[in-house]
Amino acid sequence: METTVKINDLTENDLNWEITYDSQRCTRCGRCISTCTFYALEMKVEKRAYTVSEGPVPTPKRVFSTLPIVQQKSSLKNMCVGCGMCEKVCPNHAIRPVRNKDTREKLLNHAGGNTIKRGGRTNLSVERTLDSIKVGRISQMTDPSLDAIRHTFDIQSPFGRILGPDELPIKVEDDELKISGQMPPASWIYPIIFGDMSIGALSTRAWEAICIATAVLNEKYNIPIRMCSGEGGMPIKLMQSKYLKYVILQIASGHFGWNRIIKSMPDMIEDPAGILIKIGQGAKPGDGGLLMAAKVAKHIQEIRGVPKSDLLSPPNHQGLYSIEESVQKMFLSMNAAFKFKVPVAIKVAASSSSVSVYNNLLRDPYHIVGGFFMDGIQGGTGAANEVSLDHTGHPVVSKVRDAYLAAVKQGKQGRIPLWSGGGMGMTGDLAADAFKMICLGANGVFVGKILIQLLGCIGNDAGRCNQCNTGLCPTGICTQDYRLVQRLDVDKAAETLVNYMLSVDNEFRKLLAPIGNSTLPVGRSDALVSVDEAIANKLQIPYVC
Amino acid sequence: MVTTIKSLEGHSRLSTQELLSAIYSAMEAGETEFEVFACGQHDIGGPLWSKDGKTLKFKIHDPGQRVGSMCMENTEIIIEGSAPADVGWLNAGGIIVVKGDGGDTTAHCAAAGKIYVGGRVGTRSGSLMKHDPKYEPPEFWVLKNAGSFSFEFLGGGIGVVCGYDSEEFESVLGDRACVGMVGGIVYVRGQVKGVSTYDVKVQKLDENDIAFLKKGMPDFLKSIDREKIATTLSNWSDWQKIVPLSYEETHKQKMASVKKFREEEWVKEGIFSDVFPDKLQVIGLANTGINRLRYPDWENKKACAPCEYLCPISIPTQERYNLLREGKTMEALSLIYEYNPFPRTVCGQVCPNLCMYDCSRKSVDQAVDIQGLGSATDVNTSFSAINQKQKVAVIGAGVAGLTAAWHLRKFGYAVTVFDQDTQIGGKLASNVSRERLSTESLIKDLDNFKNIDINFNLGKEVTTADYEKIKKDFDAVVLATGAYGPKIPPWPGKEKLVMSIDFLPKVNKGQKVNVGNKVVVIGAGNTGMDVIFGAYKSGAKEVIAIDVQKPNAFQKEIDHAESLGAKIMWPVFTKEITDKGVVLSDGQLIEADTVILAIGEVPLLSYIKDFYETDRGYVKVDKDFKLSDNVYTIGDMTKLGLLADAIGHGREVALVINASFKGHKYEVKTKKVIDKNSLALAYFDSISQENIEGACKDVDRCISCGTCRDCRLCKDSCPEKAIARVQLAADTKFEYKSDPEKCIGCSICAAVCPCGIWNMSVQKALMPADIKTS
Repeated sequence: METTVKINDLTENDLNWEITYDSQRCTRCGRCISTCTFYALEMKVEKRAYTVSEGPVPTPKRVFSTLPIVQQKSSLKNMCVGCGMCEKVCPNHAIRPVRNKDTREKLLNHAGGNTIKRGGRTNLSVERTLDSIKVGRISQMTDPSLDAIRHTFDIQSPFGRILGPDELPIKVEDDELKISGQMPPASWIYPIIFGDMSIGALSTRAWEAICIATAVLNEKYNIPIRMCSGEGGMPIKLMQSKYLKYVILQIASGHFGWNRIIKSMPDMIEDPAGILIKIGQGAKPGDGGLLMAAKVAKHIQEIRGVPKSDLLSPPNHQGLYSIEESVQKMFLSMNAAFKFKVPVAIKVAASSSSVSVYNNLLRDPYHIVGGFFMDGIQGGTGAANEVSLDHTGHPVVSKVRDAYLAAVKQGKQGRIPLWSGGGMGMTGDLAADAFKMICLGANGVFVGKILIQLLGCIGNDAGRCNQCNTGLCPTGICTQDYRLVQRLDVDKAAETLVNYMLSVDNEFRKLLAPIGNSTLPVGRSDALVSVDEAIANKLQIPYVC
Repeated sequence: MVTTIKSLEGHSRLSTQELLSAIYSAMEAGETEFEVFACGQHDIGGPLWSKDGKTLKFKIHDPGQRVGSMCMENTEIIIEGSAPADVGWLNAGGIIVVKGDGGDTTAHCAAAGKIYVGGRVGTRSGSLMKHDPKYEPPEFWVLKNAGSFSFEFLGGGIGVVCGYDSEEFESVLGDRACVGMVGGIVYVRGQVKGVSTYDVKVQKLDENDIAFLKKGMPDFLKSIDREKIATTLSNWSDWQKIVPLSYEETHKQKMASVKKFREEEWVKEGIFSDVFPDKLQVIGLANTGINRLRYPDWENKKACAPCEYLCPISIPTQERYNLLREGKTMEALSLIYEYNPFPRTVCGQVCPNLCMYDCSRKSVDQAVDIQGLGSATDVNTSFSAINQKQKVAVIGAGVAGLTAAWHLRKFGYAVTVFDQDTQIGGKLASNVSRERLSTESLIKDLDNFKNIDINFNLGKEVTTADYEKIKKDFDAVVLATGAYGPKIPPWPGKEKLVMSIDFLPKVNKGQKVNVGNKVVVIGAGNTGMDVIFGAYKSGAKEVIAIDVQKPNAFQKEIDHAESLGAKIMWPVFTKEITDKGVVLSDGQLIEADTVILAIGEVPLLSYIKDFYETDRGYVKVDKDFKLSDNVYTIGDMTKLGLLADAIGHGREVALVINASFKGHKYEVKTKKVIDKNSLALAYFDSISQENIEGACKDVDRCISCGTCRDCRLCKDSCPEKAIARVQLAADTKFEYKSDPEKCIGCSICAAVCPCGIWNMSVQKALMPADIKTS
C-alpha cells in the first residue's frame, strides 16, 4: 500500500505555480533541475503498473515498468515561483510553470507565524490611473504640431533648488546686475533618474550594468541621465572616477556605506550629481529597508560595515523628529558635506501628509531643499513584507498633482523640483508615464524595477518570481551568489537598458511634438484628458469619452 | 507673337483668378507665348497645355507663390528676378528658371521637369521631390545655397546646389538637411554640415556623377546668364553627393556598443574590483563543479535500514539479503554470528522482531520475513584460537553475558563465564515459556557455545570475595547477572504471592507446581503471558491476568494466552491479597487459588562493593557500560529489556572492552535511519503471498535500504556520464563516484537509487575568491 495522502498534506495544487511536464518529450538531461535556484524541481521515479489481456480470451499479463520523471516539490520552502528557467533551459519544451489561480499559498505559508516576504511591486494595486489618461491636446490647425524628427527638443529637468525672481540674490551695481549672495546648486538633468537600488539588493554586476548604461547614455548619446546609488554604499573605484558626476548618493536611515563615502572624499575628482535623503519608500511606507542575510555576502559586509545578518534600516531616521529638524539637520549636513555645491533632495513615500511636507519645504528660507521625490504604492523593493507591498501606501499620481497645485497656489511651482516614482514604466511605457506625470506637474520621474526588468529580471506584478529577498535570483540580478551572478551578461544587460532609454528619448519627442512643446510640459495639464470622469475631476483635467 | 498681360492698371490689380483667366482666354485664342507683369498672383504657369502640343512660354515678373506649380511638359517659365515660396510645387515636367532667389520650399514635391534658380533658395527647398520611373527624374539646380531642412523626405530626383557665393554659411544645405531622405541624389559644392546621417551618407562623386554635372551645367548656367563662372564650378573635387542609406543600411539593428565602452573607457576592471573581482565571464544555467547549485554524495551505509535501526543488536539484514541475492547463502546466514549468537531462539522465536515493524517493503506488499531468516539459520561458526593476552571474566551466563563472551572470544580473548546455575542461557532457558520457544532451537543456539573454547565456571554463586578476586585475576569483568529480585508492592497479604521468577523455571524444568483451578496473574507483560502459559500447563482451569495499564505484552502472546482461555483485565488496582484471591481497590474480589506476581524484577547487587549509582534498583552506567576501572555492567542489571536488548549490550560491551584493550576509545555509533522518501520503491512490484518461497529464497523483496545493492541504475541514468563504479582492492568492495567536473547536480542519481544511497546537498554560495585561477 502506498502512503495515503491526507487532506491536510500540501500538494502541488495548493501552490502558486504548477509545473506542467511532458515525460514523452523529456530526455532526462536534468538541466531543469540543475538550473532551478529554488530547488523546486526534483527527479523521481514513477511506476507504470497494470494488468493487460492481449489474447481473445482473458489472459492476464502483468505489465510493470519504472521510469524517472521530473516533478515539482510539494513544499512551501521549495515552491515553484514561476521564474520559468526550467522552460528556458529545456531542450525539448517538455516543462514549464503554469500559474495556479486556485493557490492556497497565501493562507498556508506562515510556519511559525512568519509573514510572507518578497520583492517586486504590489500585486494587488495594479490598476493604473495613468492608463486612463491620454495625451489628448493635439495641436493641429491652430498651432502646428512640431516635427518630432526634425525639431530640436530640450528634454531636461532641474535637480536642485530653483530660485524664483523674488528669491534671486541679485542687485544692481553700477547699472549692472550682479549676484550678491549664494546661489543654491542646481543642475539640469534628464527627466528620468535611475535608481535607488542598493549594492546588496542588486548584484555587483547588475548595479554596475546600470552604472555603465548611465555613463554610456551621458558620454555617447548626450542624454544627461543620473543614477541614484540606493542605500548600500558606493564602490570606491567609482567614487574615484570621473563617472561619479553621474551618480546621486543616497543616505537612508541605516546610513549604510557612508564611512567609505566620507573616506573617499579627498580622492573625488568630481562631485557627485546630488544627494538623496531617503525618508520613506512607496513600496513599503513606514517600513524600513531590509536586506536578508542570504544576500549579505562578504563584500556587502565590507561596503556596509556590518556582519552577516538580516539588515534592517529603521523605519525612521533616528536623529530626526520633525520636518523642521529634518531640514535643519539632515539637509544642512548633506549640503555641508559637499560644501554646498551639490544639490540635496529628499525622498518620501506618497502619503496623506506628503503635500503638507512639500508645502512646508517650499517655505524653507535657506533654499537648501533641492528636490522632492515622492514614491507611490506601485514602487518596487528588493524585500518587504507582502502586507506592506500590497496594502500600504498611496498611488502617486494625484499626490503629485496635489503637490504641484499646492505649489502653484503659493506661486512657487518648480522651485523645489518635484520628482515622482512608483510603478513608472510598469507596463513598459516609461516615456508615456513620465510624460503624463510631467504634464500633471512633476519635473521628472525615477525608476527602479523597470531597470532590472530590462537587465533580465523576469519578475512581474502578477506574482511571477519576485524572490529578490531570497538571494536565489535566477537571473543573477538580485543575488550575491557568484554562481548566479555569473549568469548575468553585464554588456548585454547594459545594452538593453541603453537601447530602451534611446527609444524612450525618441518617444518623448513623439509626445512633445504633437502638443507643440519644445521643452518639457511641466504642469501642462491641458495636454491631458481622462476617460475616467472621477480621475479627470480629481486631477482637474478634461473628461472625455 | 507674345501676349503681354499686365496685372496692375493704376490702382486696379487683377486677382489671381482674373489673371489666370486672361491667360486661359489667350490660349483659347491660340496664343502660346506670354509675358506676365504680375503682382503676387499665385499659380502662374500651370497646369497648362496647348491643344496642338506647342511649347508654352512664360516670362514672368513679380510672381506670387507657387509660380509654375503643377507645371506640365512643354511649358517653359522664366522668372525675371526672385520668386516667393513654392516655385515649381508639384512640377510635372516644366522647365522653370528663377533668375534671382527662390523662396521657401522651392521645388517642393517636384516630380519631373527642371527647376533652375540663379540665387539662393529658402528653407525646406527640394523637400519631398519624387521620381516616377516612367519619366525622367526631376532636376532642381540652385546656384548658391539652400535654407535649413533642405531636401527633407527626398524621395527621388536630383538636386544640385552649387554653393556659389556661400562661403559665409556653415552649410550650403542649411541645418539638418536630408532628414527622412529615402531616394534621389543631392549634388553639393562647398561646406556641408548637419545632414541627417541617420538617413543619408555623403560620398565623393564618381564618373557618372561628373558626367551628369558636366552635361547639365552649361544649360543651367546659360539659363541664369552665368556662363562665365562655369570654370569655378567645374572643379569636381569641390563637390560631394548625398545619397540615402539603403533600406538594409537603415534597418540593420543598431545596438549601443556598451562592451567597447566598458573595455576602453570604463573604470579599469570594474568598479567592484577591489571587493569583488569579477572577470565578467558569463555562464549558462546548468553548470558543473563549484558552479553547481547542488551536488550528490554516495552515502553507502551511512543510514541504517529500518530493520537494522530498530534492532537492538543492529543486525543489518539488508546485507544478508544482498549476499543471498548473490547466491552466497552460507555467508548470508553466518553473518548473524557477527551480531547475535541466538538466531533461532531470539530472532526466530521469542523476539518481537522490531526489525519487521517498519520494513520499507511494507509500502509495497509486506515486511520481509526476517524472523524466518533467524529460524532458517542452519550454520554454525567457529573462532580462531585465543591469540590475545588479556583475559575477561563474564559473571552471568544469560544472553547478555553469553553474547559478551561470544564476541570477546571472537576477538581472540580468553573468556571465563561464571554462573550459579548449572546450565547456561539465563532466563531464556529457564523462564521463557516453552509455549513460545522450542526446546530444539534452544539447544541448537546454546550448543553454539560448546566448542568455542569458552571456560565455563557454573553451579557456584559468585560472592563478594569471589568477585573481588575475579577483578584482580582478569583484565576485564563483565557483570551480567540479570534481574532476579522480585519487586513486591506493600499490599496486605503479599506473603501469599507466588513469584514468577520462582514459578517459571519450575515449569520449564518440568516440575509439578500445584496452582489450583483459579490463578490470577498480576502483571500482563510478556512475563505475565509466560506465567499464564505455565499456569495452564500446571493444570489451572481459569487464569486471569490483571494490570494497572494497557498490557505491554506482544500481541502474539496475548492472542495465544486468550486462545488458551485467559482473561486480561485492565486497568485494575490491587488493594490486598487474601486467601480468597485478589481484592481490588474498588472492593471487588477476583477469586484465586494462586496469585502469581509478574511485574518484573530488580537486580541482586549485594555482591558488588564498588561504588555505583542506581536508578530504581538498576545500575546506572553510561553508554560504555563502565561500572569501575575494568568492570562493565550490562543487560537487565541496568534496565529491564528485551532479550535483544541484552544481546545488544553483550555485543557492544565486547566492542568497548576490545577497544579499551587496543588502547582506543570506543565511539558509540549513533544510528540514523534511512529517510524513506529517498528510496525509489517504484522499482518494486508487489509479490503475492503464494509466490514468496521462504525467507532464504525471498531475495527480491528486500529493498536494501541505505546499503548499495550495486544495481548500476545511477551510473546508467546519469545524463552527463559523471558516475563511475570503482572496484576497491578487496573484490567484494566497490564504490560509486560522481565526477564534479561532469556532474551538473541534476539529482537523477538520487532519484533512481532504489536504496537511497545518493544524497543531494545544497552547495554553499560562491564568491569569486573561491575560484582558483588555474
